[in-house]
Amino acid sequence: MVDVHLSGVFPRSEKLIDATRAAVRGKLPEAELDTVLRQDIKSLVGLQEEANLDSLVDGQLNWQDLFRPFSQLLTGIDPESLTRWFDNNTFYRKPIIVDKVSLKSNDLGQYFRSDLLPKASHKKAILPGPFTFAQLSENRAYLSFSDLVNDLARAVQRIVAALQERGYEYFQFNEPSLCAPGRTQPELEIAKHAYETCAHGIGGTSIIQIYFGDASQVIETLLDYPVDSIGIDFYATSVDSLKEYDFNKVLGCGCIDGRNSLLESPMELKTFVSRARDTLEPVDIYLTPNCDLDFLPETVAEKKVRLLGETKMLVT
Amino acid sequence: MKGKLFPAQEIGSLPKAPWLLDYLRGKDAGQSGLDHLSKWSKVSEFENESETRTILAEPKNAAKQARLRELASIFAIRYLESAGLDYVYDGEENRIEMYEHPVRNSDGFEFYGHVRSFDSRYYRKAACVSKVAFRQAYHLDEFLLTKQHAKRPVKVPITGPYTIAEWSFNEYYQKQRTADYADFRKLKFEAKRDFVLDVAKQIIQPNLKALVDAGAEWIQVDEPALTTKPDEVPFFVDAYNECTAGISSKLSVHICFSDYRLLYPHILDLKNCSQLALEFANRDDEKRSAYDQLKLLNEFGDKREVGLGVADVHVDDIESPKLIKDRIEYASKILGDPARIYVNPDCGLRTRSWDVAYAKLTNIVKGAELARRSLS
Repeated sequence: MVDVHLSGVFPRSEKLIDATRAAVRGKLPEAELDTVLRQDIKSLVGLQEEANLDSLVDGQLNWQDLFRPFSQLLTGIDPESLTRWFDNNTFYRKPIIVDKVSLKSNDLGQYFRSDLLPKASHKKAILPGPFTFAQLSENRAYLSFSDLVNDLARAVQRIVAALQERGYEYFQFNEPSLCAPGRTQPELEIAKHAYETCAHGIGGTSIIQIYFGDASQVIETLLDYPVDSIGIDFYATSVDSLKEYDFNKVLGCGCIDGRNSLLESPMELKTFVSRARDTLEPVDIYLTPNCDLDFLPETVAEKKVRLLGETKMLVT
Repeated sequence: MKGKLFPAQEIGSLPKAPWLLDYLRGKDAGQSGLDHLSKWSKVSEFENESETRTILAEPKNAAKQARLRELASIFAIRYLESAGLDYVYDGEENRIEMYEHPVRNSDGFEFYGHVRSFDSRYYRKAACVSKVAFRQAYHLDEFLLTKQHAKRPVKVPITGPYTIAEWSFNEYYQKQRTADYADFRKLKFEAKRDFVLDVAKQIIQPNLKALVDAGAEWIQVDEPALTTKPDEVPFFVDAYNECTAGISSKLSVHICFSDYRLLYPHILDLKNCSQLALEFANRDDEKRSAYDQLKLLNEFGDKREVGLGVADVHVDDIESPKLIKDRIEYASKILGDPARIYVNPDCGLRTRSWDVAYAKLTNIVKGAELARRSLS
């Protein structure tokens, strides 16, 4: 069997959508919203256990976007105008960097709900990668982009350390900007330097997840980054375009499409994974959605999680 | 309108009349809704205020609801006319919204639930589950009503094939391409092309024909999603040419909140498009640098008319007539031919209040008049 993991934000249930809207309008007390949120997380945990996933996530169900929690957890960041999230009909609030960034609060429990994950489980935390965080922010405080990336990396490293103490074993850094068109070698070097900070000393497994873009443009450099695994969106990258590189890391095979409701066939996935493994010869391979499942309605996302479990049984 | 410089045109939807929304939600019209009806009936000389009030006061039924919907359309037409626009429509008062309306009125789609737009805001996104097909001419009734009541020339907005496909999940067309399953990237790309083309052929073309047959003289194809995936701009060009072949009416394309550089050179191949209506004001500054993107048209020898976005639809600040005049003059200098310029808000004003929308529209008209005088 091959390992299978989730790789991003899970969609809210219709009940949680309604509750969140009501809370935003001041028509539902925060405590009642938290009750619905807990129910959703427990349900997602049950789903992952049922599908025999190899790590558990909390689904980031109260994250308004990938960066929003960090405007509370870090100093120097204000969320502002709505901005398109890559090539999606989805938007995030662009973080405005107004002052030096550093960890303000170790009170991570609101956004990393390890309290709702079983104690003995393999817990996975998903964080914005420092390069993407800086790239998609508006920098009004730092003289250089690399200084901002480095400070974000230091802050992320401290969060990772705190999460390790809470029992997390997998740390995924979301870096869609690393494979966005037009990335330059100096930028990739800045990002590499950041990972020498934020992935340094991680006791568990470190993963960089790149998605929405063609990994073949940057993979050669990324394979030198000090992380254990690279997750690739195979709906934006062809396997063949990577075959000339020595894949010296664990490959996160993003083969479940988080942006289309069509359910993949387990047999087709098995064939695809075999081909990816034979072609790239990575250190190891695990299966994962290519991105967040938050682009799907919850009912469809649940089916995709079950599909991961079914495919796990097929791939040896 | 022939010969008039800088004609002002509607570009999209208005907010829904509050008294119509109350009625559709099964609620009695509140005082604020009645005040709204009273105020704008006076301003825009809406001739059916009394009938509207009567319906709102009586027990609800389906026939009255249908008539109230018509009255809301006429109300919006008068509102746009009284603001001084040269080309009007009905504010799309009776469309659910620009995506859901065509999808719910066509075959091949199924809604599974909500997906997030941002924060706690969600929208219903459909999946294409079978070959798409025409069910009905979903804008025909509103067009006929508008044509019957409008005192100014009419332009009909219709959501374009690329945006419908881009905002939907693509199940059916992806399933058809089983040979491409070795390369998911190629599979998805090719299946998207199939989807866009079929929406154009099976849904948009018959809708365009129905509108033209009913007398539509100008139809605007709305494509806000067009540059979302730059590699796919050629899909739109092929789809547009497919669905507009043989259409005799004037046709234009509205694109907004996009990097227009990504459109070129592909968009030069649109065969039956006499105007590009574009958003600029949203990103303008004191140097008018937003309008520098018009240089792209010169660079590529694109001689089409331009629908010039001169008012930002995302803020309540009201652009002054002088600011609008400046924007028009700046654009005229770049294009070198003022006769190619129409003026409009960046996009539909549905997220603004009726007061703000009206102030923006009237100032667009005043700004255009100032620009005309300046040139004469």
